[in-house]
Amino acid sequence: MKLGGYLNGPFGQSQSLYEIRNEWKRGRGLIEDVKKLIKLETRENIRLQKEAGLDYIVDPMFGISYLFQPLSETVKGVSVGPQENWFNNNVFSWTPQIQGPLEIQTGFSQKYIHLDELPTDGTAMVILPSPYTLLMLSHVRGYGDKREAITNLAEVLHAEAEHLASKGVGRIQYDEPAIVVKESLGSLTQEDLDLLSRGMDICGRVKRAKTSLSTYFGNAGPIIPSLLHLSVDCIGIDCTETSINDIMKHKYSKKELALGLIDSRSTSLESPREIAEKIREIVKRTDPEEIFLTPNTGTEYRGYTHGKNKLEILSETKRILNE
Amino acid sequence: MSKLFPTYEVGSLPKLNARVKATRNQEVTNYEINRVKSLAKQVGVDYGETVQILEKAQAGISLEEKSLLADFNALLYLRLQESLGFDHVYDGEARRKEMYQHVATRVDGFEKTPEMIRSRGPDSWRMAVCVDEPRLKENSIDDLILREFDFVKTHANKSIKVPIDDPYMIAVMSDNRYYTDLLKSKHENDPSKLRYEAKREFVLALARNVIKPQVEAVVQRGAKWIQLDIPAATLDVGHMPIVVDGVNEVVKGIEGVKFSLHICYPRRVSLTEKSGYELLFPHVLKLNKNVDHFSLELANADNYESDLAVFAKYADQRKYEIGVGVVDITLEKQQRWEIETTEIVRDRIQRATNTLRDEKLVYVAPDCGLRQLNLERCIQLYEIVNRGAELARRG
Repeated sequence: MKLGGYLNGPFGQSQSLYEIRNEWKRGRGLIEDVKKLIKLETRENIRLQKEAGLDYIVDPMFGISYLFQPLSETVKGVSVGPQENWFNNNVFSWTPQIQGPLEIQTGFSQKYIHLDELPTDGTAMVILPSPYTLLMLSHVRGYGDKREAITNLAEVLHAEAEHLASKGVGRIQYDEPAIVVKESLGSLTQEDLDLLSRGMDICGRVKRAKTSLSTYFGNAGPIIPSLLHLSVDCIGIDCTETSINDIMKHKYSKKELALGLIDSRSTSLESPREIAEKIREIVKRTDPEEIFLTPNTGTEYRGYTHGKNKLEILSETKRILNE
Repeated sequence: MSKLFPTYEVGSLPKLNARVKATRNQEVTNYEINRVKSLAKQVGVDYGETVQILEKAQAGISLEEKSLLADFNALLYLRLQESLGFDHVYDGEARRKEMYQHVATRVDGFEKTPEMIRSRGPDSWRMAVCVDEPRLKENSIDDLILREFDFVKTHANKSIKVPIDDPYMIAVMSDNRYYTDLLKSKHENDPSKLRYEAKREFVLALARNVIKPQVEAVVQRGAKWIQLDIPAATLDVGHMPIVVDGVNEVVKGIEGVKFSLHICYPRRVSLTEKSGYELLFPHVLKLNKNVDHFSLELANADNYESDLAVFAKYADQRKYEIGVGVVDITLEKQQRWEIETTEIVRDRIQRATNTLRDEKLVYVAPDCGLRQLNLERCIQLYEIVNRGAELARRG
């Protein structure tokens, strides 16, 4: 089986981008210059992804500060709330304040990414929040209950996913850290799994595009059976939090499997040969429909050079397994 | 009778733009020089020599002149805080490049990453990678803390509160490669346990080898109040015992000194049954008895009642003074031109007092350090904090 690969989150920013942003923040530079550099660096990053032979190409998200930003700043009925740490990272996110029910409004993610720089051959991938994570990390009002809320949020996300697919995007990744973090914290209930399932039933199938549910920052092991039943093409698992043995307990014959075996949150460099060995073993035992190698999450947590190092590991592992 | 609702600043101010440009040998404009003059005049700081340096900055300035500019900046901020009415003051961290990097660059066993890491919007920090047991570099303590403390002590007319990084904060802002590798074989099949144990070892080493020596040094020179900065205390919901152990390791055996913890942006959406500052409990009941004060971000969320309820709930077991954050210091508020009024500050103080049910426990402060804002806004916020506290005192 051929190993696929892609990046699945924001890429580390360059020092030049930091400097120009900082000058703008301090009133010593212009926002137009920041935007210009973001555009140039996005183009260069996309070139690097293509050169690395990745199967899906993402916007590196240099223009997005946090996952919910496009939705919070653009969709009517949503506003930007207090800042919060993004899970256990020294990185911030802002809590969406949702006054539902939201009306369908498409195109909200386009202002923040560079669709025009992404390939048009169906290999472009765009990342959206999963409806469950959005629900759990937002302050939500205006719904009768959580099921009603997630139904509406998933409809909004689904419309956006369909819109992106109509623009040529070939894969939509829904980011789903909350469900596995709850599992790791011991606070996950059947209601949570039901809500996730309800949300993915609505937004997990997109015409003309594949879909992934990318779980990270927590242990997916105990809930893999539930993940396998979700309406989504691909399940992404953070292998720095989930034991390989737990992953290998299951068959994935009707699902694609994205293995986050490259640790984005560590500067230690993995051996491509060792990763390749693990993948061979996993494929042998689990029989997935397709297999992808990814970092466990975006590489933004350790910077640009680090991101490039991890991209090289991904590329080299693919080469070893596919040659 | 001691003053009701004493005020203090939390830590940092942005460096003077004129100083930043001068140290880069860039031209300092007349506007910037005049702003320095007017500020200095306003708070009674002599500016003659400073202006001479600023005027010739483009041609290059010496190390000694850079040092004079740092002294000027520190004195200006000290006087600014005093003149605006703060009861406890410091120098706006005018000599520190940035709170984390100021320490991380002086630690053996740390290597810096090639680029800054983005933390929020346009904000970034220069992460270090821990590759060996962290220890303070030889002879680094003067530059790290003593020079600035001695300067403040010499010039301050009010009580001094010294901000020092907490070991847990340094740990979560660093890449803990050394201890993770060290313990990997022991916890190979339990990634969560590995992260916990590696972080614990890292935090305790930082406490012993990097933070405690600074605390001991300033205490020896007469410091009476030390604030340990630990913004990310609730970052890892399950790691609170490490936070407490780190603080206690720093404080252990140091008597006659008041310790406070500055914490901000707690996990208000925690995915567990507890959230916000509730996550600190019951762990913080085990803090060393000399840690009796929390400086808290509260204005950004503006949920004083729910945020502070837990301190009232546990008051029969342990009472803490609370430095109530009454103004939102985020860049977004500045960009939207939004700012609190003195009446809002007064109301927030009253809400906090009502929730804590003991006015003697209430101090008043901004939510956090102000270094990401422009100086004009910082001065406005300082004024609003102190006027709001005065309004609250009048009832």
